Amino acid sequence: MHASRVQQVVRAIGVAAIGVWSLGPVLIGLITSLSTEADVQAVPAHWVPDAPTIGSYQTLLGGDIVQGGIRTPSEVTAFVSAMGNTAIVTVEAVVACVVVSVLAGYAFSRLRFLGRKVAFVALIVTLEVPIFALLAPLFQLMAGVHLIDTQLGLVLVYVSSQAPLAVWLLYNYCRELPPEPEEAALIDGCGRFAVFWRIVLPQMRSGIAAVSAIVMLSVWGQFLVPLLFAPTIATKPVTVLLTEFVGKYTTNQPLIVAAGMLALLPPAVVAVALNRQIRGMLSGWSN
Amino acid sequence: MLRTERRPASSSRRPRLPSRARLEEGRLGWLLILPVVAVIAVLVIYPLALGFGLSLRSVHYASGTPETFVGLKNYVDVLGDAESRSALVHTMGYVVVAVVLEIVFGTLMALVLDQAFRGRGVLFAILILPWAMPGIVSGLLWTRILNPDNGLLNSLLFQLHLIDHYQVWFSSPLASIVLIAIVHVWGVLPLIALIILSGLQSVPDELHAAAAVDGAGPIAQFRFVTLPLIRPAVAVALTIGTVAALGIFDEIYVLNGTALGTRSIQTQIYLTTFDQLDFGRGTALAFLLAFVTILFSIAYLRGFRRQTV
Repeated sequence: MHASRVQQVVRAIGVAAIGVWSLGPVLIGLITSLSTEADVQAVPAHWVPDAPTIGSYQTLLGGDIVQGGIRTPSEVTAFVSAMGNTAIVTVEAVVACVVVSVLAGYAFSRLRFLGRKVAFVALIVTLEVPIFALLAPLFQLMAGVHLIDTQLGLVLVYVSSQAPLAVWLLYNYCRELPPEPEEAALIDGCGRFAVFWRIVLPQMRSGIAAVSAIVMLSVWGQFLVPLLFAPTIATKPVTVLLTEFVGKYTTNQPLIVAAGMLALLPPAVVAVALNRQIRGMLSGWSN
Repeated sequence: MLRTERRPASSSRRPRLPSRARLEEGRLGWLLILPVVAVIAVLVIYPLALGFGLSLRSVHYASGTPETFVGLKNYVDVLGDAESRSALVHTMGYVVVAVVLEIVFGTLMALVLDQAFRGRGVLFAILILPWAMPGIVSGLLWTRILNPDNGLLNSLLFQLHLIDHYQVWFSSPLASIVLIAIVHVWGVLPLIALIILSGLQSVPDELHAAAAVDGAGPIAQFRFVTLPLIRPAVAVALTIGTVAALGIFDEIYVLNGTALGTRSIQTQIYLTTFDQLDFGRGTALAFLLAFVTILFSIAYLRGFRRQTV
């Protein structure tokens, strides 16, 4: 069936609209981050900056250029350590969450044991519990064991909030795998764990990649949780620091937006690189 | 359903295991789920119980008064409180604007993405970007667009001679709520579009061909063939969209702080609990919102299932 001329035009408009809508704000951010304060203040706007500069990035990452006299060494340190905090906590949370979820997803889909159903249903019910219902009691709990403002505290909160979804996705993924190779290995006398380790795990690679990406994107952008659980620069992530920049450097939009662009870079790379796997996982999710 | 046809409980296809092997399987099963079960028990179920206890007590850290059991008083107070009520109205506004835009434009996007065209893979990579973006960062980018003094939307409309002077977009609570909802939609729409797309892809082409033979135009085909078949995907999309909008916080925080006129319930919970340090009332409000959230997801999934089967 060939698309008619009208259909082709409508489709082209649709494609263009999706492109502009999705990429427009990101491009605006990129241009703003490469502008000077004067360019950003211009009325009407300078769509292309008169004097493009990477000064804001240099300021954030510790270069020597001082813009508008606002760079102080401590601010440079703050941004770099906030990015570091986000990166470390995200990696730890993703690894921890994916490891426990892969084990559980496999066990729920393939092994039979007493209480399996009850445990599974309980887990899926917690999928429905929004994190905001738990913030106050979790805060008390964490404060009680001195885990506020620690990496471990943040990682634990993230793992507990992301694991139900991760288990659910990996459980579904496991169920779609053909059981024959495992059964053959079992008959050949392989132990259960060996079967999981040598046969199932390699087959789960793209599922694990997709779930890691989904958890990574969610954890990287967290704001309310670290606003409460990561009050000092020892653990403060870049999202929280950004909102502080907004209050501090009201006139230096290029600097704030440059910080935002740097904070966007890692999740954008993950999303673009793994977008095929993520899409595959999402279509399983909704069916 | 936990089991599928492929793997019935007493599988005849599976080799019958000796009881020692079955014991091993059981032990391994618990060993593998233990970490997740422990995390969920300690960090979700236990806090849930703690939280319920908090919501029944007067826990006011700011005044230092001793904790007392007050029953459902916190819930009653919160429901009668003017600030909480206006936050509820705002939240309903966010949900309605966001969900309507998400379903309408998510479906349109999915219809475009369902076609075959050159550069489709690239478009997918671009499409997913807003979803990857932290809400705080997208708030910053939209501030650049919506700023009343030097914002790009004003400039664009001015340079196109559509307005003769710069507008203050956040001039009224209603306008602010609609704009913040749009910024929120920007981040959620990719997920919604992809979920509806997966529904579209499960519609067999033959059905469209048959409908075309019967003389149905594209719109009639969509209405009578596509729409009924993508209902389950739309139900999932509706649930995700509603739950996300009910908990809206980040975008409001960046674009308008905790201002009274745009405060959501989530913002109100944050202020009550961690600013006024009234843990009892804050948790009561949080539990009410959680209850509504869960009701919505059950209602959507139930309602849509019934209509399809």
